[in-house]
Amino acid sequence: MRAIGMPPGAPSGVDSDLIDMIESVFADYRHAHNRADSGPGSACDRALWQRLDTLGLVRLTGAEEFGGSGASWRESSELLAAAVRHGVRLPLAEHDLLACWLLEATGQPVDSSIRAVHIVPRAGRPGGPTPWAGVADRLVVLWWTGTQYRLADADVAALTITPGTNLIGEPRDTVQADTSQWTGQPVAPELVTELKRKAALLRSIQVCAALDGAVAMSVAHATSRTQFGRPLGKFQAIQNLVADAAAEAALARAATEVALSTALESGWTSEYLGFQIAVSRSCAGHAASVVTRNAHQVHGAIGTTHEHRLHELTRAALTWRSENGSVHFWDKRISAVAAAAGPAQLWALITATP
Amino acid sequence: MRLVPPAGTTGTATAALRAQVREFLAEQLAAGTFTPAVDAWLCGWDENFTRLLAQRGWLGMTVPEHYGGHGRSFDERFIVTEELLAAGAPVAAHWIADRQIVPSLLKYGTEEQKHEFLPRIVRGECFFGIGMSEPDSGSDLASVRTRAMRLDGGWSVSGTKVWTSGAHRAHAFIVLARTEPVDPAHRHAGLSQFIVDLRAPGVDVRPIISMNGGHHFNEVILDDVFIPDAMVFGRIGEGWTQVTSELSFERSGPERFLSTFPVLTDAVEHLAVQGIARDAELGRLVARVTGLHHMSTAVADALQRGEAPDVPAAVVKVLGTTVEGDIADFADLRTGDDIATGDSWRDLLAHAVDQRSGFTLRGGTNEVLRGVIARGLGMR
Repeated sequence: MRAIGMPPGAPSGVDSDLIDMIESVFADYRHAHNRADSGPGSACDRALWQRLDTLGLVRLTGAEEFGGSGASWRESSELLAAAVRHGVRLPLAEHDLLACWLLEATGQPVDSSIRAVHIVPRAGRPGGPTPWAGVADRLVVLWWTGTQYRLADADVAALTITPGTNLIGEPRDTVQADTSQWTGQPVAPELVTELKRKAALLRSIQVCAALDGAVAMSVAHATSRTQFGRPLGKFQAIQNLVADAAAEAALARAATEVALSTALESGWTSEYLGFQIAVSRSCAGHAASVVTRNAHQVHGAIGTTHEHRLHELTRAALTWRSENGSVHFWDKRISAVAAAAGPAQLWALITATP
Repeated sequence: MRLVPPAGTTGTATAALRAQVREFLAEQLAAGTFTPAVDAWLCGWDENFTRLLAQRGWLGMTVPEHYGGHGRSFDERFIVTEELLAAGAPVAAHWIADRQIVPSLLKYGTEEQKHEFLPRIVRGECFFGIGMSEPDSGSDLASVRTRAMRLDGGWSVSGTKVWTSGAHRAHAFIVLARTEPVDPAHRHAGLSQFIVDLRAPGVDVRPIISMNGGHHFNEVILDDVFIPDAMVFGRIGEGWTQVTSELSFERSGPERFLSTFPVLTDAVEHLAVQGIARDAELGRLVARVTGLHHMSTAVADALQRGEAPDVPAAVVKVLGTTVEGDIADFADLRTGDDIATGDSWRDLLAHAVDQRSGFTLRGGTNEVLRGVIARGLGMR
């Protein structure tokens, strides 16, 4: 499952031409549409989606025989990070890494429809909003029959969707699916576990990209803005704020990179993967607190305005860290896993070495 | 902009080495050779334990075989030390020699110095201290006042060094001294290093007792100590470059996030009865230690590649020493006189709380390190 030619544990090794191409597509787009997202409707520009599609970027990780680009999560991470840096909101991850992957994994055909995933809550349990349901053409719906999970690739017309958004204007919709008459395809429990892990980890990747962007923006501001006759960055108090933010972002990135490497090297099956993804969510979640606070403190009042783009990163980080489970949820899960491992195996868990 | 090299998985080759060290530690624990302790790399001086490690080839691992060493990689040394620290094993006797004197000797030492010291360090028979800080030079190392005067065939060194861990038991330390007067325009120039025998005439080692009564720090007074030319370390005038190259080894290692790991381990056991097992704060701390393990491993890889990762090392140390203290405080906040706990827990915790104040000071205060990070970000 490892990208060809990449040694275990090596840095991403993603082709720099691809990274440059992705960067320029989003930069051009933001140059032409220089407005911050302000609510529903601003997310998922179909024209941009088409452009990305012609470049082979919307099915980046799809198998080439099914029209995909045959790339890995490493390339996809670069794509997601670039979208985050430029404040472009699209269901790239939900479509490619979750919905279309799930269809491919269960032998279903994949066409050019925009897709997302909806998991029907089990009876009596609350269901959260479904990312991007309202703008998708089709939803890959998973439901529990009482004995197994089944899956159907449903036209959104067959579903009742009540629009909603998260803090940054991305669709987070309420979906009602009456699956009682559906037959669908059975889905192995391992695939459902893998789906949940992927959904959790892609938010870590997005949060890390947002935090790195906020730190870079803080450095740029601190070195260009002059007060009391000096650039802000010459004041130790400001240096401390930025240094702490940068350190937190680096820790989140290290935890997320290792979780992704473990996933790719083990084909998402490592016994330590669930723990490492939880660790990445915890580190990224707590980093978002420090980076948001310090980045805004460094920027001063201008950073709190709609006009300034800092919020595209900070509000996004705070939003995504709370999706697919709150930071508290992940902390408690880690605590439970540590307790289950017990004092004798805690260190083995941390080092992923039995 | 990347502050820290990419982190990755460590592969299966390292698992075998970890397993060997864990088996050894389990045997020693069962035999009662040591009790897991906080800060055991600073306070746990046990020369017998050091010799046991030497017998297994776990001292001076990176020393080439023709200097009596084992020719292992820096990554392998990292793994062994990480395992020892996670277990709270007493490794203070050889710690400084193994951690920073070995790489410094390999980089700057003369052939004579390498043959003199490396084989003895590898055998666990020669222990070192650090001679950087002074009463008037804490974080600001360039302000050291210890002077070395040129003599025929050597140097005369006079001055006072402080916070020299283990100087009352170690054999030698490397002293940073001024060999030229301070040039205000080039404060880092005119500094040199000398290998000083701690039993030489004119060397006076005086204890600095810690607030909990422990003795590991010392003041070392050098009064006209003769240093033969053969014990000049590196090049005269290059002291600043040499010292700063040691710092990446000193700042990024597992001792910067595992000093209180035995508390975390015990917390999982002792506090489980109080429902702490579901405590989110425990999860946060375990997550941070895990992230730091990854990050510190990435810096060890950079050291192995021969890079000078001073900025990533500063990131590890700022984050790691903070979480070490957070672990002590986490346990302390949950332990009152209303809770029935054993003496071993209370002793461990008391030691952790007392040692905590030093975590974010030693090896460069976190305030200075934030400046290093800011420089890495292009702000200074």
